[in-house]
Amino acid sequence: MSSAIEAEGLGRDYGSVRALEGLELVVPHGSAVGLLGPNGAGKTTAMLLLATLLSPTRGSARVFGHDVVRDRRAVRRRLGLVFQETTVDGLLTVEENLLFAARLAGLGGRLARAAVSDAMGRAGLAQHARQPARELSGGWRRLADVVRATLHQPDLLILDEPTVGLDPEHRDAVWALLDAQRRTHGTTVLFSTHYLAEAEPADRVVLLARGRVVADDAPGALRAELGEEIAEIEGPGADRLARALRGLGAARVVLRTGRGIRAGITGQREPVVELAGGAPGIERFTLRPTTLEDVYFARTQSHADADVPEPV
Amino acid sequence: MSAWSTVHGIVARDLSRATRQTSRLLGGVARPFMWLLLVGTGYNTIARLESGLPYQAFVVPGIIVMAALFGGTLTAVSTVYDREFGMLRLMLASPAGLHAVLAGRAIAATLVGVFQGGIVLAFAPLVLHLGAERWLMGLAALAAVSAMSAMLGLLMAARIRSVENFAGIINVVLFPLLFLSGALYPTDGMPPGLRAVARANPVTYAVDLVRHALGQPAEVGSLTAAGVVLGVLVLAFVLAALLFDPEQRFFPRRPGAGAAVSSP
Repeated sequence: MSSAIEAEGLGRDYGSVRALEGLELVVPHGSAVGLLGPNGAGKTTAMLLLATLLSPTRGSARVFGHDVVRDRRAVRRRLGLVFQETTVDGLLTVEENLLFAARLAGLGGRLARAAVSDAMGRAGLAQHARQPARELSGGWRRLADVVRATLHQPDLLILDEPTVGLDPEHRDAVWALLDAQRRTHGTTVLFSTHYLAEAEPADRVVLLARGRVVADDAPGALRAELGEEIAEIEGPGADRLARALRGLGAARVVLRTGRGIRAGITGQREPVVELAGGAPGIERFTLRPTTLEDVYFARTQSHADADVPEPV
Repeated sequence: MSAWSTVHGIVARDLSRATRQTSRLLGGVARPFMWLLLVGTGYNTIARLESGLPYQAFVVPGIIVMAALFGGTLTAVSTVYDREFGMLRLMLASPAGLHAVLAGRAIAATLVGVFQGGIVLAFAPLVLHLGAERWLMGLAALAAVSAMSAMLGLLMAARIRSVENFAGIINVVLFPLLFLSGALYPTDGMPPGLRAVARANPVTYAVDLVRHALGQPAEVGSLTAAGVVLGVLVLAFVLAALLFDPEQRFFPRRPGAGAAVSSP
């Protein structure tokens, strides 16, 4: 499979602040890649660099073989962008907003109108076509924003937190739209999100912390590194139980969160449950499947500041 | 084709926005008439001009320029609103690039200026003797003045970060430009210092261009006036393109003034 994105040591500074250290990234054509990480990790900067909206301080990147600095127009022709903030003009109707976006993308005349009509039909927006966008709910406005990015059938969609602030119904609608886009046009999708469950179906997850890539693999492989299950432990005896689990060889990784301790459990669960059952000072002990959220905590904590609790 | 579609999209959007902001549009039309009727009528009784023109007839070109200046500039400055709410970044991500975006915004702002100034021009025959030829020449001059105003607005918008600064633009930039232009009173009676400022003010030449077009005596020649208006228009476009350069390669922004976006 050919590469949609290739970044080598891509970095950006804002004055003395290193927003992105040096991103190494290869995104195969047609794949879906989640860019995850805490606020300020460099996700938006990475996306703006790849979208040609920011020039790199160091390194280079190519989108479908086009350099993001030297050949911006060629890159932009193949891109669809969704920013963190919704870019829908409240004074215009939904149809006018989409027509504006289609023309910005270079579609003219009948082609633009046909693309808008088709997109509104696909996204269920036809009923709101003549409605001023300011009268729409946040969910519909965001859906219109995502539809806007797909009007010209881009080969690559870059979406910066496309579902932020949406209810589950509209989040589902946004992902259904993106899935359909991938299925029908083979569009490559690079997205960021703080709803980590949304990244579970992705082909790959790239985790950033403080401007550096701290993990880059398929979600299943990243989860497997922590263990099949996670033990959530709360109470004054949590530290002691975590040490005991390590001593038993059952806990592969032990993390401290705001509410207690999470331990990545591997091997037989019975000895773990037995040990926890007899441990003093435990207010809550739960075993559950490992998620990307656990990977997030594990990988970002080990690259965090000193004032953030270190892994035990 | 691609760049034209982008320009078309921006013009259509900006004009739709302008027509839906009715209070702003009506205010833009009412402002010059308030000056023409209230100030003009009052001054008509006391002002004695060397040219022998009644004051109300003298002030018509200035009022036309006022309408074009406020209409064109403020429409262009709404780019600041688009920057604040992310729309400018969407436009700059267009394959057509920065120049098409600036051209689209300038054309839309020019059309708003022509509309607002054109209403004054439409009523000008009530106080001026205007044949069809003079009227059409006035319309052409108005288009040039509106285009210059639009580009001056974009130039201001290049570095303004917040829509709250709009009021400041009107009070600190537009009114001084207007008062020191010969739009409302001749500049040749001004103290030498202010007269020198008026000579350096592009709006002075805009007013004289309209005066020539409408057949009134002016302080500078018609070719000079047209040359300065068109020269400022081109210079403002070039400067705006450099100032909108997101990487600030030519005019660095002070640190912490906000992240930029890129363009070709």
